[in-house]
Amino acid sequence: MKPRLVPFGDAAYRLPLPPGANGRAVLEALRAVPRVVDAVVTERHALFTFDPQGGTPDGLEELVELAEQAASVPAPALAVRQHMVTVRYDGLDLEEVARATGMSSADVAARHASRTYVVAAVGFLPGFAYLRELDAKLVLPRRSTPRSRIPARSVAIAGLYTGIYPFASPGGWNIIATADAFEAFDVRSGATMSLGDRVLFTRGPS
Amino acid sequence: MIEIVSIAGFATIQDGGRPGHMHEGVPKGGALAPELMSRANVAVRNAPEEAAVEVVGAMSFVARVPLTVATDDGVARALACNDRFSTANGPEVRMRYIAVRGGIDVPAVLGGRGTLVVARLGGHEGRPLRRGDVLRVRDARPRDTSLPAFPDLVAPVRVIVGPDVDRFDRATIEAFFAASFTIDAGSDRVGIRLAGPRFVREQEADAPSAPMVSGAIQIPPSGQPIVLGPDHPTTGGYPVIATVVRAHLGPLAARPIGASVRFRL
Repeated sequence: MKPRLVPFGDAAYRLPLPPGANGRAVLEALRAVPRVVDAVVTERHALFTFDPQGGTPDGLEELVELAEQAASVPAPALAVRQHMVTVRYDGLDLEEVARATGMSSADVAARHASRTYVVAAVGFLPGFAYLRELDAKLVLPRRSTPRSRIPARSVAIAGLYTGIYPFASPGGWNIIATADAFEAFDVRSGATMSLGDRVLFTRGPS
Repeated sequence: MIEIVSIAGFATIQDGGRPGHMHEGVPKGGALAPELMSRANVAVRNAPEEAAVEVVGAMSFVARVPLTVATDDGVARALACNDRFSTANGPEVRMRYIAVRGGIDVPAVLGGRGTLVVARLGGHEGRPLRRGDVLRVRDARPRDTSLPAFPDLVAPVRVIVGPDVDRFDRATIEAFFAASFTIDAGSDRVGIRLAGPRFVREQEADAPSAPMVSGAIQIPPSGQPIVLGPDHPTTGGYPVIATVVRAHLGPLAARPIGASVRFRL
């Protein structure tokens, strides 16, 4: 089955990705195409942009095939890095999360800190990574009313994800911890975490 | 050098943007209305996308050396040392651009000189300009380009439907194209908020975030459309009913608060 390429305005296309697609390989494949200006890959979609003044790029069929092939590349084919993030479980919503999940705050912290997460997407803010493999007991909806300002370095959970806010910003996720020393973004080198990277949270002194 | 002596509103250094970093969560950024910024730049013989000051409101500065400046009116003016220059957006446009011959001298960060305020990245110290800021001027080689026409700020805005067209029913899409909106005062560099009819949909489960582009017209749960601007989040979960074509996005962003907007195919 061919993925269906959908125009996203006149300067981008979006295509759906099959479940379990190797997002990192799709991203690298798209970024290597000379006329592709930008590419963004999330769990279900890939997007690429181009300069519309040059007209619609030809060879779209080949480009889709390239993405399709990359999607089925076995996951460890590309170098992924491991990031250790020291956190303090002192988030504003920690007690509320504990109540909603029927656990103690200490249990929430223990369940959050005891696993390896995978970067499933990078987006929203510079350096923000959507981390998968959250403990099923910690899956909660976003807050019904988003906060107008979440402090930088907040560690939060929502749905199937956890993540670290690189900058103070509005946000609706449940804040459970703080990653004091972690820089998710650097103005010279860009985002610290890339698609497919592994992330470990370790508990620092509180 | 120029020294800023007053600012009312929001002024940042912007340029043609920093393409190529969206996979790191960094939007392309750049001028809200490149079509206006290029007029200011071309008038002082800069490249059209040279770094300039984007002023939403009003700004005055004093030249600390002799300079040539222009706004998007496209007329170059020579300033002597200590001459004062002021500009403000009138009722017809939301922002103005001030270009200085040679370009504003701020470091290129990830390939762009524009300011991304949320990430404190680029521009002058990664932040909006303030009274007392002193900006250096580069000496980029002058070049001659013909002055681009002033864009049409009233015509219907051309869009391409989707990509999330299947998340709206036919009646909603028809209502969207029949509607007349106005530019809401909550608009900023992240998005243009549109007041008018609301398109409230049945509450869906949280959709996973998908890649976004500038020009995407998102329909959030409030039903009030948001057209993503240059500093948009690179991913988002709200469905996109239609997307503004690239050439119409700057002229849409340039419309003043309260101006009316209609969309067409």
